[in-house]
Amino acid sequence: MSRDPLVVGRVVGDVLDPFIRSASLRVLYNNREVTNGSELKPSAVVHEPRVEIPGRDMRTLYTLAMVDPDAPSPSNPTKREHLHWLVTDIPETTNSSFGNEIVPYESPRPTAGIHRFVFVLFRQEVRQTIYAPGWRQNFNTRDFAALYNLGPPVAAMYFNCQRENGCGGRRYHAVSGWT
Amino acid sequence: MWSSENAKHNNKKKNKSGHGSSSRIVSSSSARSSPSSASSILSQTPRRRTMEEMWKDITLATLHQETPLAPLLETTHSHPQHHHHHQLQLHRPHPTASPSFRTMILQDFLSGPCSTVSPASAAAAEHITLPPSPPPLPPTALTLKSGLELRYPAGGGGGGGGASGGAGSGGGSLVVNAHSRSSSNSNESRVNGQANKNGHGGSFMPSYFSDAVISPPSPAGLFSFCSKKRMMPEGPVVDGDRRYKRMIKNRESAARSRARKQAYTNELELEVAHLLEENAKLKKQQEELRMAMADQLPNRNALQRSTSAPF
Repeated sequence: MSRDPLVVGRVVGDVLDPFIRSASLRVLYNNREVTNGSELKPSAVVHEPRVEIPGRDMRTLYTLAMVDPDAPSPSNPTKREHLHWLVTDIPETTNSSFGNEIVPYESPRPTAGIHRFVFVLFRQEVRQTIYAPGWRQNFNTRDFAALYNLGPPVAAMYFNCQRENGCGGRRYHAVSGWT
Repeated sequence: MWSSENAKHNNKKKNKSGHGSSSRIVSSSSARSSPSSASSILSQTPRRRTMEEMWKDITLATLHQETPLAPLLETTHSHPQHHHHHQLQLHRPHPTASPSFRTMILQDFLSGPCSTVSPASAAAAEHITLPPSPPPLPPTALTLKSGLELRYPAGGGGGGGGASGGAGSGGGSLVVNAHSRSSSNSNESRVNGQANKNGHGGSFMPSYFSDAVISPPSPAGLFSFCSKKRMMPEGPVVDGDRRYKRMIKNRESAARSRARKQAYTNELELEVAHLLEENAKLKKQQEELRMAMADQLPNRNALQRSTSAPF
């Protein structure tokens, strides 16, 4: 559906391929649920959120990845995507604290522009060992899913974040010009 | 923050003063981006050569526009040395025409000598860039320029304000006050600048000029503006390309912003629909349960028979 916020916000396209959502995902920072596409300040997302996966079957395991496709800046995303968090083996009906944190949570600290931070949920067929990538930048969610046979994503959501005292987008820097 | 706002002032001032001249804007951006390369290209001989060409072009171009400047041009044309640019700047024979002419000259001077493009193409580019300045522009350009220049020192001016301020502050002090009054807030400065432009008569502001306002400014470029010693490494052809890229980047940024807004709106609409549905369902459920409870509960208000005898 072209009205899907994930499509309109270009998450489907830049990070993910079109998928059908077959699971639900709730992201809570400081016990507040994040609305898809809303904006949060870096001070609000310093610590890892609680990501709840409602459901029925505790045997189903999920992998959660949090990426920033707009690193270092949305107009120049040379480091797309920057991996902020990777948790595997999350049982359904529980939350991310029950999973296996492969890549520890890194607080979003956007310096230039308004970045999107995307949570992607994959359903694991089996309890599998997933290895952390060598570095956080230039992570590719599609390739990662293909590598570990995770299949298409089952749920995703994103929020926007800019510098704490940001003016909303392009600023002039004496050295690098408008970014 | 303050310094960046300052830079914004500089940017606007430079761009407004150089109405539509792409070489000027790019010259500032090129100065910003590659100061080291600018200094490395610095050399006496090529500067004079291309400068003569440039002078010729400017003479030809401005003769079309403003005839009163012809005598002045003849004089300067006979002395094709760069320091006579200073003379031209100081004389200011026509307050109405000279600001645009002067700024064009200066900017073109700054961009021309360092141009690595052949003189023929530079000349062509000069012709392209110069004609677009319409005749009604100079008077308003003067006021805008002085307004901008006075805004810059108000922001806490640096060296850049000096030379350009000295040149432009001659006329329109009243206008300057209006400008500085209207632009107290640095955040609104650009908006005010745009509004001021429109207020003076939107007709004289071509569309690409508004692009020029958004073009990259440069404190370094302003320094070269004042010191006249820094050379711009890129020619008018590359400058136009850079402006074009800037415009594209701005378009993309605007599109991202619209997408962001639309995505959030869509999400909220979806949520509202979902919540309304859930609410209706819950209310209906509650009603049904209430009815079921009422049916099952015995009516304790009615009288009941019970035994009271001990046997």
